[in-house]
Amino acid sequence: MTVLDQLNGGQIYLVCGIIVAFIAAVCVVFLVRAWRAGKALGMDPVKMKRTVTASATFSLLPSVGILLGVLALSGSLGIPWPWLRLSVIGALHYETQVADAAAEQLGIRLGTDQMTTQAFATIALLMSVCIMWGMVLTTIFNRRYLRRLDGQSPASRPAGGGFGDRAMVAMFIGMVSAYLGSYLGGFASGEGLFSFRGDWVPLLVAAVAALAMAVFTWLAEKKHLDWLENFSIAGSMLLGMLAAVLTGL
Amino acid sequence: MKKNMDRQQAYEAYLKETHRLGRAVSLLTLAMLLGAPFVIGSLLGAMPDLGAAARGFLSVGLVWTVSSVVEYLVYTPMLGAGGSYLAFITGNLINMKIPCAMNAREMVNAKTGTAENEVISTLSIATSSLVTILVLAVGVALITPLRPVLQSPVLQPAFANVVPALFGAMAYQYYRKDPALAAVPLAAMALLFMFVPSLTGSTSFMIIPSGALAIGLSYLKYRRARKEGQGQ
Repeated sequence: MTVLDQLNGGQIYLVCGIIVAFIAAVCVVFLVRAWRAGKALGMDPVKMKRTVTASATFSLLPSVGILLGVLALSGSLGIPWPWLRLSVIGALHYETQVADAAAEQLGIRLGTDQMTTQAFATIALLMSVCIMWGMVLTTIFNRRYLRRLDGQSPASRPAGGGFGDRAMVAMFIGMVSAYLGSYLGGFASGEGLFSFRGDWVPLLVAAVAALAMAVFTWLAEKKHLDWLENFSIAGSMLLGMLAAVLTGL
Repeated sequence: MKKNMDRQQAYEAYLKETHRLGRAVSLLTLAMLLGAPFVIGSLLGAMPDLGAAARGFLSVGLVWTVSSVVEYLVYTPMLGAGGSYLAFITGNLINMKIPCAMNAREMVNAKTGTAENEVISTLSIATSSLVTILVLAVGVALITPLRPVLQSPVLQPAFANVVPALFGAMAYQYYRKDPALAAVPLAAMALLFMFVPSLTGSTSFMIIPSGALAIGLSYLKYRRARKEGQGQ
């Protein structure tokens, strides 16, 4: 029996499955509590329903991408552990980088037959330790941090929105700019400084997705097709990804 | 009036319970995630090499620790209590949970720090997490028949470009709110990546200076607008 066979064993599935099931139950509890709180606060149930529908459709495509991440890591870490990590806590770029760094410390390379059971246990531990800090911080500071931000009871806050909302929009503009900038840079200098021979597919995909989003927004706002909003991000992404497939044909 | 006070009291009680529950499940999750490598190790007959794990932590863990602190400080205010506990437990923040919650917030026009934002963010992140868990559980169950379809060379460019597709759609959504503001970080980042193409391997870290630049400019605009408002 190879190490990979051992990592794909029933007992490992059981350990990981129990944790995934626990987190799923936590999500259900939070969902039900938030729904009830919304109703008690007099929120429009249609709005809440739209939130759930839009979030579900929004998450479908990225989840398929995450599933591919499980497949990508399954060749070196087996299926159950990447399934656990990517279902509940991690992110593919993080998991891959940390697993690779741990493997490097052990003097092995991922995706080869150098993997041992001890190497796996060490990699799994490092993956857990490196990404736990968000959870640690929320456990220790969340209540105080949010109270400090509020300054007053959130429910009694005026609904106007000060710099906080502008800052969030700006943060997202900054985040999007970093990624779009990297695609522009990759195209312009990826194959030599200002050679303009780099990878242009991400730029095309982003442009198609942005154009599709513009069409969805126009239809929703000008043609009053509000229901389209639920699918605008996922639909735009799908069209952008379709463009990538077409370039490969 | 009385109805509003009742609602506020109910909301305060909800928040208090959310913090209690959030802390408890976060601690339990932490214990399970840290314990799992040891449980699996004992099942496989080999315990983790703690020295190698410590060295690995020093090489990459510190970077991720700083990143976690920044993520915590930046995202918690927009996610609220329930949303932040869930988001930090379920992960995939930048690539899914945060845009998902922001999209939901935009749809219902909820403002940061309000009770509505708290409820909408929690609903959004809980739903998103459940969808991921479900898709992955089904995918893992079907992994053998699914593998040829998902790994077919024809579909590979699509999945390799999920992130550009996401950020393209988001670019339209956010840039239209303030195109003049957006032009500056976009130009700065494009030039930076053109002159230092090796930075493309650290794009996620470049969010910090790019975000800081955008927030700084936004603050200057905000202050100017307030001054002009006061002057009138």
